[in-house]
Formats: sequence, C-alpha cells, structure tokens
Amino acid sequence: MALVSPKQVRYERRSIAGREIPVAVAPTLPRHSVPARFFSGLYSLLTGMKLTLRYFVKPSTIVTRQYPNNRETLKFPDRYRAALKFKYVTVRQPITDWEFPDPKSPTLRLPASLLRDWSRGYEDASYHKCTGCKNCEVACPNASIRVVTRIGEVTEDREVDRFIWRMDSCMYCNACVQACPFDAIEMGHDYENAVYDRRLLVYNLNRQAGPPASLVTEEEDITVRRRMMSHRERCGGPIPLNGHALPNLHALPVTPIVDASTGSIERNSEAES
Amino acid sequence: MDTTYQVKSIAEQAADSLNVGILPTLGYLGLALLLVAGLVVVLGMGLIWLERKIAAHFQCRLGPNRVGPFGIFQTLMDTIKLLFKEDIVPMRADKTLHLFAPFLALATPVLILGVIPYGPLQQVADISIGVLFVSAVGGFGVMGILVGGWSSNNKWSTIGAMRAGAQIISYELSATLALLVVVLFSGSMKLSAIVTSQHDGWWVWRAPGVGLLAFVIYLISSTAEINRLPFDIPEGESELAAGFHTEYSGMRFSFFFLAEFINMFVAAGLAATLFLGGWMPFHIGDWASFNAVMDLIPPVAWFSLKAFFIIFLIMWVRWTFPRLRVDQLMHLEWRFLLPIGFANLIAASLIALTNFYFYPLAGN
Ligand code: SF4
Ligand code: SF4
Repeated sequence: MALVSPKQVRYERRSIAGREIPVAVAPTLPRHSVPARFFSGLYSLLTGMKLTLRYFVKPSTIVTRQYPNNRETLKFPDRYRAALKFKYVTVRQPITDWEFPDPKSPTLRLPASLLRDWSRGYEDASYHKCTGCKNCEVACPNASIRVVTRIGEVTEDREVDRFIWRMDSCMYCNACVQACPFDAIEMGHDYENAVYDRRLLVYNLNRQAGPPASLVTEEEDITVRRRMMSHRERCGGPIPLNGHALPNLHALPVTPIVDASTGSIERNSEAES
Repeated sequence: MDTTYQVKSIAEQAADSLNVGILPTLGYLGLALLLVAGLVVVLGMGLIWLERKIAAHFQCRLGPNRVGPFGIFQTLMDTIKLLFKEDIVPMRADKTLHLFAPFLALATPVLILGVIPYGPLQQVADISIGVLFVSAVGGFGVMGILVGGWSSNNKWSTIGAMRAGAQIISYELSATLALLVVVLFSGSMKLSAIVTSQHDGWWVWRAPGVGLLAFVIYLISSTAEINRLPFDIPEGESELAAGFHTEYSGMRFSFFFLAEFINMFVAAGLAATLFLGGWMPFHIGDWASFNAVMDLIPPVAWFSLKAFFIIFLIMWVRWTFPRLRVDQLMHLEWRFLLPIGFANLIAASLIALTNFYFYPLAGN
C-alpha cells in the first residue's frame, strides 16, 4: 500500500478562474504491477488471518459479558448514565439526645453497623445537597423534573420537599446535572429499571425533605437536625401521572407517608409548589 | 509398500454377502443407509454448532453457551423450533417446485457423502468413476438453488439464484482442473485408489509445488461452489435480503441451511481425500518406523482430523476475509484461477510423465 508522505506534497499557487489560489499537489501514485499487487494483497489477507487466529486462541480477548451472572462484578464507565440520583454528604455526628427512632417503625430499617455506631455514641447521617433552587427543572428540555419546595419548620425558609424525576420522559441528556449550581445531583449507574407500568417510573429522588447538608451541619443540636429532615419514599410522591388517572389507567394506590419529624401521615396529594 | 489395507466398500460387502443369503445383504444396505442418515444428522448439528462457536471466538464473543455444556444442544433446540414453525409459500409462487427445491439442494451433498471413503471399510459405494461422479453431482447442486430461487416469485431470490448459477458453473471449471491434477498423479478416478496411491506421501507435498497449488485452487473454488463467504454472492445479505432462500421458512429453510453445511463437509472431505491422503496415515516414503508409529492412529480418525482441519480453515477464512463483489468474483475465476489451473494441469502432466515426485511411484 503506497501512501503519500507529507514530504512529497508540493504547495504552489495556481490561477483558477482568474484568481491566484494556493493548492497542495500530491504526486500521482504509481500503480504497481500485478504480481506486486497480488503479493501485497495476499500479505494483507494473511495479516487478517493472523489477527483472527489470535482472537481465537486467546480467551482474554473475549468481550462478552454474561449479564445476569456478573451482576457483582459489573463495571460501568464513569460517564454511563442510567438513572438520575442525589448526591449525599455523609457526616459523623455524636448522639446527644439518645432518643432513638422507634425500631419497629416500618420506614426505619436498622442495619447492624448503625446499632454498633450507636453503642459507641455516634451515628452516620447522610444529607443531600439540594437547595431547591429549581435550576434543574428549568434546564430540563423534557420537563422531566419537578422540584416541590416547602417552607421549612425549623429554618423557616424555602427548602426542597420532593424532587420528582420522571424517568419515563427523561432522555439522559445530563443537562440537569450540569445546570445544578450546588452539585446536588448526578447520573447514577442503577441500570435495572424495568417496570410493568410506566407510572412506576416517576420517582422521588430525595430520601429526606429538608435544607441542604451545608445548612444542616451548621446546626449543632442533633435533635434540631432531626427535626429539619423528614423522610421521603422513593415512589411516594404525587406519582402516576401526577396523581391523575387515564381512561384505562388508574392512579396507583399510594402508601401513606409517615413524616418522621411530626409523626403526621401525609396523603398522596398535590403538595404546594 | 508391504502394508496393505483391505479396501472394501459397504456396497461390495453387500454384493459378496449375497452368496450367503439375502438377509446379510439387507443388513449391509440398512447399515449404509443408517451411516449416511446418521452422518447427515450429526454433521448438520455438529457443524452448525461448531461454526457458531468458532465464529464467536474469532469475533471475541462466546457463542452459544446456555443449552447444555458449552451450548452443544443449542442446534438441537433450534431444529425443534424450526420444525414447529409455519411453512409459508409465497403467493403466486410455483408451489410444487418451491416445496421440492430444498430436497434437491440437500440431495446433492448426500449423494456425494455415499462415495467418500471415510476409512478402508467405511465407504458406501466405491464407484470406478468416483471423481467424475463427484464433479458431475456437485455441479448438479446448483439446481436446488436455481429452482428454489426462481420458484419463489421474488426478485431477490431470482437474482440470487442466477448469481449462484453463474458462480457455481464458473468455479466448477477450476475445481475440476484441480481434481484432474490428482487424477493424473494417481492414474485412477476411483476415490479409494486415489487414497491408496498416497501411501508414500500425500499429493499436496509429494508432487513438488504443483500439488500444493492444485490444493489451494481446489480450496478456493470449492469454497465458492458451496456459496460460503467470502464468495456468498447468491445470498448477499447486504444487497439481496437472503438471496435464493429469502422466501423460505421453517423446515424448508433449515434444509437449505443443512445443505450448506453438509456441502462444506463434502468439500472438506474431498480435499482431504484427494490432496491430504484421505484415511491414509501420514507416511514418508521408506521411513518404516515413522510410518509404523503413524499407523497406530486408526484411519477414520485420520480422515476426520484432516476433514475438520480443512473445515476449520474454511471457517477461519470466512470470518476474516472481506466479501467479493459480483464482478470481482468473475474476474478472479476467469482471469486468474482458470489460467493458473490450466498451467498447473500442464505442469502436472509433465511431472506425471517424468515421474518427478518425492518418492517416485514404484510401478512407473
Ligand atoms: S437528563 Fe435531561 S431529560 Fe433527563 S431529567 Fe435531566 S435535563 Fe431532563
Ligand atoms: S438539584 Fe440542584 S439545580 Fe436542582 S433544585 Fe436542587 S440545587 Fe437546584
């Protein structure tokens, strides 16, 4: 295969249609004789056969991933976008109030590590970073995000109540992530998202309603911190088509949400926006 | 030269046993039928599985691995699935021919299976014009494709069938020229005699250069004859949907598919028989002890080894080489393979005249 090297290219000016135009002139490639072409062709075919034979004998070249069997070892590229999720800041905080939430509470699952930490006098708490500024909602070209805010009980200021993300209309363009000034959301790698009813694809992204981590951690008293945050279920928002029914698609029954701070039971209703 | 193989085909054994009674004869004939039928089934299943597995590994994949260990029952399951699929005949197709074509396509390789010597005693019929029979029946294989394509009443099928006709008839010439080289060397058209003539060494290396060239020409042209990539012009998935079998479904499609794979085995088996010594163990002239060691491996194993080596070669080529265009295909045959084949035949006849072999023929 003859290739033109940059050194063989001549640069000159030619008058084309009455104008002087600079042109690059490549030399005409020599057409090789039949035997030369035959052998170079043969050589390239043999090169290909060598390559495929290498693939054949080396199991390490196999790229197939046997999906359901390799859940534990699956690795995703960093930029893989499967589902929007909140970023959480985990802080280790000393327990001063020693008033644990009721262990029988259905919304509270107590892992062993938590119990161990409690016995040592501290707990790990995760706080989100969303301020409820609605930049992402504005940035979303599909209107897949709706940020519902509330006036916080403790802070008496606007804070996020529900961050509703509609996976069914999201196109994973990442615009919301880039629009967020507080680095509060990211594209996660949770990939097994199939459901039988598209209404189930409307998620509450925030696990707790409340002010962002930066505000929460300013508060020293853990009791007050607890009162700032209230629990939110993943599917517990004003879901299924925002609570409306379609002719042959009924609104799903929604489990009542227990507000951890006040103990009151919220019904599935349109929250204030 | 003193090692003699008792060469006897099943047909001869059946004829001999007529002296004893009719029952052993029928037994032998039944055995022959079973042998060919079993071979077709086992080859069909095995080769399709092998092709998928080998293709996968050439392409950095794993291939079927769910049904049974290494997915060996995948083809079985696919066959069952195909059996239960609907058999559709297109509107205004020539129904009789359409339904008949797949059997025609499958009949050709099965006929040839009957004359290939798998071992000194494992051959159904050893006819004295074996090579002629093989090339004549092999050329007949295009009928199934032509009839199937034409009767489908579909432009792609018809174009594919016409291309198949042009291609197979062209490459038949080169293949036959390569076969003639071996006929010249061994002085016989009988396949078993060709095998025994390679007692001192296989024709691929015993005739200096010429044998190898004929072998390569035969490989190329037989690959073209069985319509495998890089010569898959009649199917031409990228331009003709599926070529001549576009309109076939269910069992009849699988017959075409089966025919393709049996054809591949036939081409590989013939190449092994004619150029690589068939069931003959690897012998080098008068190296008696070396030959004795080689004789320890049974002849049928030798045949299968060689045939599967060539099958692997054909698959390797298929998954590596780029496809040829229609005009390039004809160009290759008429302007390169055919002249080279003729020159090779002349060179071969000179060699046969002067007895210029490694380990010259004793008789000449
Ligand atoms: S990824 Fe794009 S479409 Fe999806 S929620 Fe974010 S901005 Fe909207
Ligand atoms: S996620 Fe970011 S942009 Fe969206 S409301 Fe929260 S802080 Fe604002």
